[in-house]
Amino acid sequence: MRALGLALILCVLGNTAWADTPDLGGIVDHHILPGYRALAEDAAALDDAAQADCAPNNEALRAAYGQAFDAWIAVSHLRFGPSEKLDRAFALAFWPDPRSKTPKTLLALLAAQDPVVAKIQTFRDVSIAVRGFYALEFLLYDTQFVEADEVYTCALIRAIAADIALNATGILADWEGGYADLLRLLENDIYRTEEEATRQLFTALLAGLEFTSDARLGRPLGSFERPRPKRAEAWRSGRSLRHVVMSLHATRALAYDLSRGDTALDAAFTSVIADAEALEDPIFAGVSDPASRFRVEALKARIDDLRNALAEDLGLRLGIVAGFNSLDGD
Amino acid sequence: MPNRRDFVAGLLATGLAPRASWADAGAPVLLAAGKRNDANFVLCGLNASGDIVFEQPLPGRGHAAAAHPKRPEAVVFARRPGRFALVMDCVTGAVLARIDSPQGRHFYGHGTFSGDGRWLFTTENDYDAARGCVGVWDAGLGYRRAGEFASGGVGPHDIRTLPDGETLVVANGGIETHPETGRTKLNLPDMRSNLSYLTPDGTVLAQAEMDAVWHRNSIRHLAVARDGRVAFATQWQGEISDTPPLWGLHRMGGVRRLPNPRTDLSRDMVGYAGSIAISADGTRVAITSPKGGQMHEYDAGQGTLLQRTHVPDVCGVAALGDRFIWTTGGGQVLGTNLRTYPIQWDNHLIAITGGI
Repeated sequence: MRALGLALILCVLGNTAWADTPDLGGIVDHHILPGYRALAEDAAALDDAAQADCAPNNEALRAAYGQAFDAWIAVSHLRFGPSEKLDRAFALAFWPDPRSKTPKTLLALLAAQDPVVAKIQTFRDVSIAVRGFYALEFLLYDTQFVEADEVYTCALIRAIAADIALNATGILADWEGGYADLLRLLENDIYRTEEEATRQLFTALLAGLEFTSDARLGRPLGSFERPRPKRAEAWRSGRSLRHVVMSLHATRALAYDLSRGDTALDAAFTSVIADAEALEDPIFAGVSDPASRFRVEALKARIDDLRNALAEDLGLRLGIVAGFNSLDGD
Repeated sequence: MPNRRDFVAGLLATGLAPRASWADAGAPVLLAAGKRNDANFVLCGLNASGDIVFEQPLPGRGHAAAAHPKRPEAVVFARRPGRFALVMDCVTGAVLARIDSPQGRHFYGHGTFSGDGRWLFTTENDYDAARGCVGVWDAGLGYRRAGEFASGGVGPHDIRTLPDGETLVVANGGIETHPETGRTKLNLPDMRSNLSYLTPDGTVLAQAEMDAVWHRNSIRHLAVARDGRVAFATQWQGEISDTPPLWGLHRMGGVRRLPNPRTDLSRDMVGYAGSIAISADGTRVAITSPKGGQMHEYDAGQGTLLQRTHVPDVCGVAALGDRFIWTTGGGQVLGTNLRTYPIQWDNHLIAITGGI
């Protein structure tokens, strides 16, 4: 099935005449801006919910957290421009964290009752590891924090939520305040040509798929001898598989626009997404069992195949040089 | 009638021959790994005219190689995060040794020999500690592991031996990765790349770090001039539209010298230099960008551009005396009599110092 899916893409892409250049303005207006608007709105709602009631098991807060996190995942492949300014995206999403800086630094703040949390200005100077959605997940869902000092964790939850909202609004403000036009209008210092702008979006598409494969799936898979289910993304809140599916949907939308509506390509995404949904293993607990592990491995392989096919074929059609060395430099 | 190479290969097989030299491997001066159009991976030796003088099969895709300074032996590394390298006899094609990275380490794809050929040094990742390492292998004893020491930074990539035959220079790229997350870069907000000079037993002699403003500039590849200056090439981890300097020259103990980047040049390189070489007289530096399809030649002293050519998927470059030879993913060998082979050349072209 996997080989067949790939063959299908290659065949159709191979037979398609030279594609039009993508509609950059359309991608900005229908893909990027709506995504960041949703993130800014949902992050503001999360901030409001945390200021209203900071109890970790408060359902309204958890729901607002889930909705804002969803909005982030939907744009998490768009890592360029405003999201990278001031390390905003890293501050929203410090993950993966192989040496557990997030819980260690949170515990240190808690132990020291560090007053940096009192003011948002000082909080924004602390380690990037205790900011953003992944740090907040520990405070809302991990028992060692949920049951910790209520007064201090409350302040921490509010500080993180406020910081998330500030970063989300900052990204949106920069997009709406000029960056969108750089991508739409071209012939500027950032995007001199259509090709440079297209390359940026194409790179974001490939990097998004690579992150889903390498980090979101690769991390819990670990090795056959040593699977690592507890390294799955956001497993404490049960969101691991959800993130894979959501990010596949997001990259699918971008691929569709970049390819000017290539239906065969879109069908390949549909098929991979169906495989992901069929896993029915929300936190990849199955990676430890050889019988279910192979399905996660197969999904990872299909995403890699999809990425390789896009890299070679869509790259060629977009006029972006893709070659033996340029694809995966070192 | 058998040629000398076959004759020596035969003798070697019987154990009767004196020690083989690079001349017995067809006197190659360059090494390059590649993928043949029939999908087989090979290591090739090229002479100064760009002719392939030997072609040996590899079990998988190679990255860079290291040439033994005296014996016709080459160490070919698997691509990052590879865990093995093969020592090939370039006369017979025999695999003399397979070296495996120890538990908890992987290779980065580069290595270098000490000037006397006794030791092989490899860049490695001690990934659970996010610490760069240099592995030491005894080339006099079947490439047995002899030890390891810290590389002086995170994510060591290229490593070279200075002309004194002993001092090592390591490009610590600064990027933390872990094999369980593939190529995901784990520390971009606070990454810091450096050049580290080390004795063969791991004492740090000197280090030079990137300026804070360019802290996302990752030093990856190196070339050493005969006078000991080190040319380094970088890969930018920030925004594509930023225009960082992509190469520089440094001498151990000196301050780092980066040319003033010309915006359009850095942009055309897509912030990415894949390989670097310096001419034997030390006056010219060549860098490549497969992402931008660019080969650039600079005046080493002034940092000014001397020549630029657009060639798709160019990546390998090496100095042969005062001229540069380039290889591409399209099979071309440039800078000599133009040759195109049915082989997609891999990232690096390695000069064999003992080859002439």
